Amino acid sequence: MHTLLKRTAPALALLALAGCQPELDAPGADKGSADFSRYISVGNSLTAGFSDGGLYLEGQQSSYPNLLAGQFKAVGGGDFAQPLFQAGQENGSGYLRLAGFTATGNPITANVTTNLAVRTTTPQVLYTRYDAAVNNLGVPGIRLSDIQTPGYGSQLGNPYFERITPAANPLQTYFLRVKAEAATATFFTCWLGNNDVLGYATAGGVLNATSSNAITRTDTFQLKANRIINVLTANGAKGVVATIPNVANVPFFTTVRVAAIKATFKASNPALSLYIQTSTGVREATDADLLTLTSSAVIGTATPGNPFPVGAGVGTATGQSNPLPSQFVLDAAEQTLVRDATTAYNTSLTAKANEKGLAIFDANAFFSQIAATGFTTDGVSNTAAFISGNLFSLDGVHPTPRGYAIVANEMIKAINAKYGSSVPQVNPTDYRGVRFP
Amino acid sequence: MTSKSLLLVSGVLLTGTAASAGGYQVTLAGQKNNGMGGVGVGLSLDQAAMFYNPGALAMVKDRGVQVGVNATMARQAFRSQYGGPQRELKSNIVTPFNLYAGFGSEDRKFAAGIAIYTPFGNKVEYADGWEGRYSLTGIDLKSIYVQPTVSYAVTDKLSVGAGMVILAYGAVNLQKDIPVEGAAGAQPAHVELDGKATTKIGFNAGIYFKPTDKLSIGASYRSKIDAQVEGGDVTFSNVPAALGSRFTATEFDATLPLPATTSLGIGFMPNENLTLGFDVNYVEWSKYKTLQFDFRGNNGAGGLVAPSGQVGGSNISTSRREYKDAVTLRLGGQYLLTSGLTVRAGGSYDFSPVEDGFVTPETPDADRIGLTLGASYKFGSFGVDISGQFIDLKERTQTEAELVANNTADRVAGTYKTRVLIPGIGLNYTF
Repeated sequence: MHTLLKRTAPALALLALAGCQPELDAPGADKGSADFSRYISVGNSLTAGFSDGGLYLEGQQSSYPNLLAGQFKAVGGGDFAQPLFQAGQENGSGYLRLAGFTATGNPITANVTTNLAVRTTTPQVLYTRYDAAVNNLGVPGIRLSDIQTPGYGSQLGNPYFERITPAANPLQTYFLRVKAEAATATFFTCWLGNNDVLGYATAGGVLNATSSNAITRTDTFQLKANRIINVLTANGAKGVVATIPNVANVPFFTTVRVAAIKATFKASNPALSLYIQTSTGVREATDADLLTLTSSAVIGTATPGNPFPVGAGVGTATGQSNPLPSQFVLDAAEQTLVRDATTAYNTSLTAKANEKGLAIFDANAFFSQIAATGFTTDGVSNTAAFISGNLFSLDGVHPTPRGYAIVANEMIKAINAKYGSSVPQVNPTDYRGVRFP
Repeated sequence: MTSKSLLLVSGVLLTGTAASAGGYQVTLAGQKNNGMGGVGVGLSLDQAAMFYNPGALAMVKDRGVQVGVNATMARQAFRSQYGGPQRELKSNIVTPFNLYAGFGSEDRKFAAGIAIYTPFGNKVEYADGWEGRYSLTGIDLKSIYVQPTVSYAVTDKLSVGAGMVILAYGAVNLQKDIPVEGAAGAQPAHVELDGKATTKIGFNAGIYFKPTDKLSIGASYRSKIDAQVEGGDVTFSNVPAALGSRFTATEFDATLPLPATTSLGIGFMPNENLTLGFDVNYVEWSKYKTLQFDFRGNNGAGGLVAPSGQVGGSNISTSRREYKDAVTLRLGGQYLLTSGLTVRAGGSYDFSPVEDGFVTPETPDADRIGLTLGASYKFGSFGVDISGQFIDLKERTQTEAELVANNTADRVAGTYKTRVLIPGIGLNYTF
């Protein structure tokens, strides 16, 4: 009997090890009708991987184009070069980090100022140049209205574009740079236009029409959008065009709430309420007004010579309030301007993409849905909430690495649907949310 | 020799178990039964009748003592909905066991005995870094029942029996990562819940009827016990200091139902050497609606004032289970080859109590097919039983959209496939 056992036990164990492990087929990977061999990305800060109020190495590595390129490799994608900040200068422009919370639970942020890639501060802050070839043409801050501005990449222009603009051709426009790269590209993503309305919104709508950050005229927007998409597709490349999300859905505008501020004021004195400065005068704030993330630093602070702290008051007449300055409020009228511009821009982008038979990532619809219901994945609840939501970084506008991962996945869905490909998705939980001290 | 082996086996008794029936039920209570697809309710094979049907104990011919142990070796594959590499469990071998001692009166009217077995258990441990780590990294659920049993033969064809079922030992250890990160390169936060269940009492009862030499019928019922953990330990690691006020819990309470099982069985003995059995088990899994943890305590609150007993800012964690009652069908037989050697074979089909879109990493359940083989060799009063089971769980997929729709998004979307191999060995002594 012993011998029977001695023979049986190892045989069973062997069977367990060798035969028992189930195998699940790897998902198929197919390029469909697209060609991913040379992918370029065109866009602004979102495309560059901007996060936490700055551009730095980790954000660059988590940029959605870089994540996409990694997935494209499964279906014949080539190498994807980015103008990465080098080791020792990995903090790039510097960025915000979370330093802790106040006793009342408000976040405290601090600037990272070490290991920057600043090469000079005259005539303005300029960064260590990157002269090798790049596939990621994302330029933080660029507006669609800027793409044909000569000198936009000069030392007096946009420092992020300056660092990748050929030194021998400092007046080359973004448009001409894209045209040169598009000549050999087989696939592209294009997500431009956010800054044509974002600057106006984050400045609380105080900019007038002549300001360089005013809302871009919709006819100008359409003209430039058509030009860039024409040049991207001139060589037969396929790609994705992304729409512009309504900025009113981001934590920059949804974290500081009128109702909460009013409640705080009333707790100290039931007569107090929140008053705001608008273009048409001072009035009591309503729940429809959006306060900027930056307003939290000034609301409630003392003003010399004024009996009320900033934002507080009992009435609109002079001396009865200390209204919150207009730059910290996107009031209902300003929100309408932002929304109308966003809608018009998206109409232009969508029409042009459809004309060229391109895939469309409707970022506006997607982020509206995120704002409404959040986005759960792998047992983790992600929302559009500031800090706790995992998806938006500390600047309240740009995504975290996890946020960029879900953007990459949405683009992959759009690509697969349009081109019959089966590009695999990334796992969002492999990418971080906000880091805590 | 045998007594030495007995000691050896009892040395590995205090261990956990792994899923080998629907949900976290384990039906590995007798080595002879294991070889026959798990049938036993309509049979009176040996002292393991105390588990399968206490009513049949009085009809067991011999007085005896037996011990048995199994080694469950589960192999699992998981692929996330998002793609990526196949994930597998860490290789764990867990050892459900059983021990029976049964004695009969001289006139064969009364029988009594004590049974120790492990009817529920579950152990899974996922490989590091898997995408479901925020849902679960590992669980180890154990239960040991002790059952004093009496049985009485009303006539020589009809017997009844009952036992007091004592949840003598129950323990749960559950671990998962928490989706908050500290400094670059740091591991995500992690929580471990570890607790022992309080002693609880239920019952097991059965009736056995053998109208002819060729036919027997049995029915049995084992009652539900709620395994209750009170004041289990909550241990955090890697929680960023700034979030200390949201992770203050030190203790938890939780209740897990160990559901009632009703069984019917039929035995056929067409000739002296052949025994066939057919069983149906009905398990009242629908009692398992939610898994809730209540948290208490305050570990210092990270220097901040906050409500006590928080895990991620909440005093409570509730997760939908919504199991449904489930049936297992079993078929098996044994054949006496020589006076000493008996061979067995059988199979089972187990309907999962877990509905679509409710599959959790802790119990990645699916309908399952079991195939079994077994043999016994008897020399004198001693006997050795061996068994082997191969359990194949159907491939099962759930999408994030299904999870969101069910409000079960606290688990992972993807495809599971599991196989389990369970060799077992038992020793018995009859007198």
